Amino acid sequence: MASVAAALRSVGKRAAPGGDREDGDRMVITPLGAGNEVGRSCVHMSYRGRAVLFDCGVHPGYSGVAALPYFDEIDPAAVDVLLVTHFHLDHAAALPYFLEKTAFKGRVFMTHATKAIYQLLLLDYVRVSKASVDDMLFDEQDIHRSMDRIETVDFHQAVEVNGIRFWCYAAGHVLGAAMFAVDIAGARVLYTGDYSREEDRHLPAAETPPFSPDVCVIESTYGIQQHQPRDVRERRFTEIVSSTVSQGGRVLIPAYALGRAQELLLILDEYWSNHPELHKIPIYYASALAKRCMAVYQTHMSSMNENIRNKFGCSSNPFNFKHVESLNSIDSFHDVGPSVVMASPGGLQSGLSRQLFDRWCEDGKNACVIPGYVVAGTLAKTIINEPREVTLANGLTAPLNMQVHYISFSAHADFPQTSAFLGEIRPPNIVLVHGEANEMARLKQRLVSQFDGTNTNVVSPKNCQSVEMFFRSEKMAKAVGSLAEKVPNVGDSVSGLLLTTKGFTYQVMDPDELRVYTRAQLSSANITQRISVPYSGSFEVVRYRLNQIYESVEESAVEESDVPALVVHQRVTVRQDSETSVTLQWSSDPISDMVSDSVVAAILNISRKGPKGVRAEEAARTKEETERMAHKVVHALMVSLFGDVKAGQEGELVISVDGDVAHLDGKSGDVECENAALKERIETAFRRIQGAVRPIPLSAS
Amino acid sequence: MGTSVQVTPLSGAYGESPLCYLLAVDGFRFLLDCGWSDLCDPSQLEPLAKVAPTIDAVLLSHPDMMHLGALPYAMKHLGLSAPVYATEPVFRLGLLTMYDHFLSRWQVSDFDLFTLDDVDSAFQNVVRLKYSQNHLLRDKGEGIVIAPHVAGHLLGGTVWKITKDGEDVIYAVDFNHRKETHLNGTVLTSFVRPAVLITDAYNALNNQGYKRKQDQNFVDALLKVLASGGSVLLPVDTAGRVLELLLILDEYWGQRNLKYPIHFLTNVSTSTIDFVKSFLEWMNDSISKEFEQNRDNPFLLKNVSLIINKEELEKLGDAPKVVLASMASLEVGFSHDIFVEMANDTKNLVLFTEKGQFGTLARMLQVDPPPKAVKVTVSKRIPLVGDELKAYEEEQERIKKEESLKASRIKEEELKASHGLNAKASDPMTIDGSSSRKSSNAGSHFGANVDILIDGFVPPSTSVAPMFPFFENTAEWDDFGEVINPDDYMMKQEEMDYSMMHGSGDGLDGKIDEGSARLLLDSTPSKVVSNEMTVQVRCSLAYMDFEGRSDGRSVKSVIAHVAPLKLVLVHGSAEATEHLKMHCAKNSDLHVYAPQVEETIDVTSDLCAYKVQLSEKLMSNIISKKLGEHEIAWLDAEVGKEDEKLILLPPSSPPPPHKSVLVGDLKLADFKQFLENKGWQVEFAGGALRCGEYITVRKIGDSIQKGGAGSQQLVIEGPLCEDYYKIRELLYSQFYLL
Repeated sequence: MASVAAALRSVGKRAAPGGDREDGDRMVITPLGAGNEVGRSCVHMSYRGRAVLFDCGVHPGYSGVAALPYFDEIDPAAVDVLLVTHFHLDHAAALPYFLEKTAFKGRVFMTHATKAIYQLLLLDYVRVSKASVDDMLFDEQDIHRSMDRIETVDFHQAVEVNGIRFWCYAAGHVLGAAMFAVDIAGARVLYTGDYSREEDRHLPAAETPPFSPDVCVIESTYGIQQHQPRDVRERRFTEIVSSTVSQGGRVLIPAYALGRAQELLLILDEYWSNHPELHKIPIYYASALAKRCMAVYQTHMSSMNENIRNKFGCSSNPFNFKHVESLNSIDSFHDVGPSVVMASPGGLQSGLSRQLFDRWCEDGKNACVIPGYVVAGTLAKTIINEPREVTLANGLTAPLNMQVHYISFSAHADFPQTSAFLGEIRPPNIVLVHGEANEMARLKQRLVSQFDGTNTNVVSPKNCQSVEMFFRSEKMAKAVGSLAEKVPNVGDSVSGLLLTTKGFTYQVMDPDELRVYTRAQLSSANITQRISVPYSGSFEVVRYRLNQIYESVEESAVEESDVPALVVHQRVTVRQDSETSVTLQWSSDPISDMVSDSVVAAILNISRKGPKGVRAEEAARTKEETERMAHKVVHALMVSLFGDVKAGQEGELVISVDGDVAHLDGKSGDVECENAALKERIETAFRRIQGAVRPIPLSAS
Repeated sequence: MGTSVQVTPLSGAYGESPLCYLLAVDGFRFLLDCGWSDLCDPSQLEPLAKVAPTIDAVLLSHPDMMHLGALPYAMKHLGLSAPVYATEPVFRLGLLTMYDHFLSRWQVSDFDLFTLDDVDSAFQNVVRLKYSQNHLLRDKGEGIVIAPHVAGHLLGGTVWKITKDGEDVIYAVDFNHRKETHLNGTVLTSFVRPAVLITDAYNALNNQGYKRKQDQNFVDALLKVLASGGSVLLPVDTAGRVLELLLILDEYWGQRNLKYPIHFLTNVSTSTIDFVKSFLEWMNDSISKEFEQNRDNPFLLKNVSLIINKEELEKLGDAPKVVLASMASLEVGFSHDIFVEMANDTKNLVLFTEKGQFGTLARMLQVDPPPKAVKVTVSKRIPLVGDELKAYEEEQERIKKEESLKASRIKEEELKASHGLNAKASDPMTIDGSSSRKSSNAGSHFGANVDILIDGFVPPSTSVAPMFPFFENTAEWDDFGEVINPDDYMMKQEEMDYSMMHGSGDGLDGKIDEGSARLLLDSTPSKVVSNEMTVQVRCSLAYMDFEGRSDGRSVKSVIAHVAPLKLVLVHGSAEATEHLKMHCAKNSDLHVYAPQVEETIDVTSDLCAYKVQLSEKLMSNIISKKLGEHEIAWLDAEVGKEDEKLILLPPSSPPPPHKSVLVGDLKLADFKQFLENKGWQVEFAGGALRCGEYITVRKIGDSIQKGGAGSQQLVIEGPLCEDYYKIRELLYSQFYLL
């Protein structure tokens, strides 16, 4: 588990890499959209060389490139995974653009239901905006191509991509909405997307993850507002609808085609079933898109809540509405007598809902129920304030006599939900996104006071403002195999291969078992080399020569077919195979290769020059002399390294550096010195010098 | 030491009896599957009965009788009470399978081993998981993670991965590596060298042909019979393999525009298909893709009619038709009845798509040559009439009377007891008052006093003043009138929910089709009449393998690929088990076990492992080399301790020089290519690579054993010449030296 090492700091521009800390431990979270705004959700997260993008939406208030998140802040090619929480345009609609028009080559994941509706919704989006917008971000073909690249993930299913582990929880909000948990090398981030902790007719409440994430990126749409209880809202809604129609009025419900509309239809359909007197009053549902999506709703029952699943288990599919008829266009609508019409768009900007509004707004018997969050700048927002007059689509002004009701069925978390959610999962870092600046600031303030004293950081970065966090992750390794036969005690030494897989998992093992633990992807190898050298003289001469050169020459322990064989330094076996050649055999490694090369040279020298007289002095050269020579070399090298080096008694060297005096035992390498740093340096130097003086370690010693 | 693992088959070892195994992981006892054969013989469950109460968790792998049939019985009678884990389809379809089985049995016998309520309650504590969902067990199982993975074979079919301390135990029975019309192939092959693999030897001796050809043969066989005016009976399971058959038939009928009716007849056929329609995300990629892009649901089944009772079938008379009827074993149920009717006609065909369970009628008919005649029992549940009905009613009456008598006696006694108390308190009025207050708190006067009202004057012997109960109206008043409790006027959440739930018959978790429900809820007294008869088997019989299991060859290659450290073989005939055991033991170094029923084997791995922390200081000194997704480095460290955890620190004294290690995975063919690109003359000669004139490079030892441990052994030899050193240099370049 990673632990947060440092306080959070928010900087205007991305800090230069490096800095005072190891770059690998820094997590950077940057909203590319939805920072202090609602719309174009897109949050970039990078940690340990991995990058994840959460959501990829457009801003409904802008068009063309201006609606996109700030993709130029990041390198799309470096993004490994893109996770889309739900199908709403402000969370998914920039996806075709990002997939087709940028260098992004990572993988995209969303839930099954989201993917199915995503396609329909975007095709509709393209069709609608074609009429009004010149610079289209993408076309139908881009959407179809994007479908091939989107992979699906089921709730709770754990997926690993390039060392990034992630899985998702149900988020409520709309069908298929998910909140993603991402785990990179033990650091966990939870991105809630839009969520609601209130169970409604068909959607489950958002799940509470059973762990505490290190960072929680959370929506703040409703800031510190509080919803009315659901049953009160439902009752108000059904009362308004029934009283209006029973007085002969018409009810207009402008709603986005998907999401809340299905919930409202479930409410109405049930209310109608329980009130037979209303059966003669038709409910129309005017959205071709929603009609197409109905198959998805009827199929993905498993993403819905227990209540509707049980209903499904006991009777016919609840999404086969009994009292709701669909309406294709205003031409096929016979406006005689009372009726209830649900039509899109929800903001009354244009389309069928606007046509009906224009037709009905002057009659005081009629009612308009606005069932959700309305975006600033739309007619729906205007009429909530109940002005006396409204401007019709044709530019004329008309008196607004129609009753206007605002009952929010919006499935976003309100403050009590947000606060309870954060209280349960207790993340040490909270990043607020997806909310208007004022709401967000208020929420931040409330959260700061709620978590006061718990060392919780709450930040609300603006778009492109990076939040940096440092995690000092403990690197845990697993010692496996024969290396781990017994658990070592303090002070024991451990040597083996350290295998790092995908950057985060460490294993320590014996080299021979590498194959086992990498599934035969890697393996250690032994290369046995056998080389035959032409030599036609007596083997005794070879033996003699080698004995002179090497410190260790032994008879081969394994006698094969009576051929004389010698083992030099326990590494290279020299054997006379035939009259005309000797064979050298050894197992590859740098030292053995060197030994074998020198053996080859020695043998070639014999044959080239013929047997040479051996000088007496050479033969008499004693071991002590060799030692003396070695000592001399050590001394000379020490002088070159440390300057003031005096030869002491019995091969001892006295080294003085800046007043510190060290005594080095020339044989054992023991150093006596009060300055630990100097001692360590001398030891290291001596070890290296020894390595150079005696390159072939005597395995016996 | 590693995690201790023991396996004990409770059924389904060295034989084809139902699957049921006990797996103990560090003392936590899993029951892997809980199968029962179609015969429903309680004596089969004796080994389970001994251990049932000690089970800590049940894992179900497939929604059919062989994998979960005994669950309701074990929960009811054997004291099994552990939580059950299964995927959503296994849960739903399993439930429907049990309903269907019960109804089939109940129609022809006084089946009392379990009831529908038992089925419901058994499935009530099923925890439903998604594929690849890591589920952490709590309490006793702390540290154990279970995860279901795709198995193929049946919808929702599961390969269970049980992980403890990084060691995997994999339970994979009846998997299918092939992608089918509606299912994905198993992901078993993606698992990395698990400590233990428990798998079946069921198909070890069978080999299959190509799927496309097989499908074609199947449809051809049907059409031939239909064209000649015969009918086809496919005895199938309730909600398993039948889905694949339905899809194949529906698609083919659609393509060819065939008019022969196809009937899917089980007690729960309509709800089965309803649920299956909503399980698209559990099916194969092309189905979910098709739905995402065009919202086409293949289980809309345009050419298949779903029927839930035989009457509808009988209306069709003798016209050629295809009937898929449940109970593949032909023991009881629709398939049994239809078989009896169809067997006599030579034009008809009974096509088995799976091997019949041992000891069942289906198995008898699958022998070669098939029997000329079989003895069957034809039973029917009929309403009671005449004297019998009278006798039954009298009996019921008597029972009722007895019960009411008993009840009133008990009540009397209670009353006496309470009055006894009253007498002691010596003031009955106060007691009355208190009880009335209590009841008004409960919100209803009626409930508390119902006894007295019904029983009328039962003069309590001890009471001094018997009287009707009287309740004083104790309404409070304030300045605004009677004080009201606003809660009384609030529409409560629960009430709302209730009204939402209204009419949904919340008792049954899944639904039973209306017809079946009628049958079941029909309280008309009935009895079962049966008569034995001999049926001449004149119709043709055929067997085609549509079991959707990997065949012998694939099973072997899957095992070789997964390369578990220990392999446990279960569920397969003795020959098949022995065959696979020999095969695996011969071809690799893994340990193979094939326990008998009730034989406990210990498959605790001898792999050891411990965890250490790597200190920052150590890691900053290590330079790793990158090899694909791995990085490797040589590590010399000293063990220290920090917060009770082992930590590796840089060595305090210089480490002894280590033997150098060459790392890499050389394939001679790749090396040949490499040398050729460098302009060398290279050829294979007698298993060795001949480079240039004189130099040979050979691989010896381990290379054949795929999963084998140890390192590769390479030999390079040749005379002393320049080429030798050049080749050696190139060979070294293929490795990393540590």
